[in-house]
Amino acid sequence: MRQSLNGDQRAYAELLQETSRFLRPFLAKRLSFTNEVDDLLQEILISIHKARHTYDGNRPYKPWVYAIAKFRLQDHLRAHYADQLHHADDLSEMEEFLHEDVTESAITYESISGEVEKLPEKQAIILRMMHQEGYTAKEVAEEMGMNESAVKVAAHRAYKVLRQKLER
Amino acid sequence: MENIEELIDKLTQDTAAVKPAPHPFVLSAKWMGGAMAYLIVSLMFSGLRPDLMAKLHEPWFVAEIAALACIFIATSLSAALLSFPDMHQMRRAVFAPVATFALFVLVMFLAWQADNPPAPLPVHSFECTASIALFSLLPAVWTFFEMRKFASTHYHWAGCVALLFAFSIGAIWLRLYETNDSIMHVVEWHYLPMIAFGIAGLWLGKLILKW
Repeated sequence: MRQSLNGDQRAYAELLQETSRFLRPFLAKRLSFTNEVDDLLQEILISIHKARHTYDGNRPYKPWVYAIAKFRLQDHLRAHYADQLHHADDLSEMEEFLHEDVTESAITYESISGEVEKLPEKQAIILRMMHQEGYTAKEVAEEMGMNESAVKVAAHRAYKVLRQKLER
Repeated sequence: MENIEELIDKLTQDTAAVKPAPHPFVLSAKWMGGAMAYLIVSLMFSGLRPDLMAKLHEPWFVAEIAALACIFIATSLSAALLSFPDMHQMRRAVFAPVATFALFVLVMFLAWQADNPPAPLPVHSFECTASIALFSLLPAVWTFFEMRKFASTHYHWAGCVALLFAFSIGAIWLRLYETNDSIMHVVEWHYLPMIAFGIAGLWLGKLILKW
């Protein structure tokens, strides 16, 4: 560091490389994602560069570096949790605007069965077989003499119609 | 990983020789010197309290001024250490103001006990707080300006200690200028507001010293 403070570029590059080498595991232990580690490591290296005049080379280097690394890590975690809290606030705000309890649905088994009966016969049979009797799309296709993708398309159309009717 | 290599390359390009920051003791001495010069010049303009020579023979008054001077020195040293990311690896010295404040509280308590019969309260009140605040403004601005040149990783405490440093010099000035012997008054309108400003420094530190 003393050499780099005097303007020795090579010594400075080596120092920063070595610093990133020992800081990486320190950060990896405390953060969950690799990209977070990389981003924070970059921030720390920039901070070390900005604050390099506060190190005189007469005292151990690592405590100085770790002080900066911990400072930036705390900043990062504070911002991260503040962000999470912000999202939590959004959800609590949303609750005020929800008129009905979202866990209780007006859609019952009977209402769905009634609507299924109103579907075209083929679609109704496909849905009954798949959702009441537990057939797979392939098995339905074999039973009805259709190909598998035609069964899936028919089921998909039926879902769409049902959704529209039940959402009204 | 490639980004890190690129960044290191970029940072390495910017390696003009950097002048290392002075030792915290030197820094602290510089700040104290500046503040003392400001105090002397201010006292030359405002004048000393007329009974100062007599007061200097009163042990509790001398003890109070000495305790304030200790706070002034300790906060200056602590602020200088807090300007460094690693507190110059002298963590214990950073807590020096705690001991000096404890000493100050003890001195004030004993002075209050000795103040019998109590000295009459002066007619003014908040004017003292306002005077200290105005007097301390310049040292506070200067100290914050100086501290911003470094890299504090404890900006809340750095702000708090910096304001206590500035306000301690304001408190010394007022005790040497104002003719007032009421301990209750100085505690209520000089020292409690000084501590309140110190607490406000926690917030100000974040605002000014964050880097």
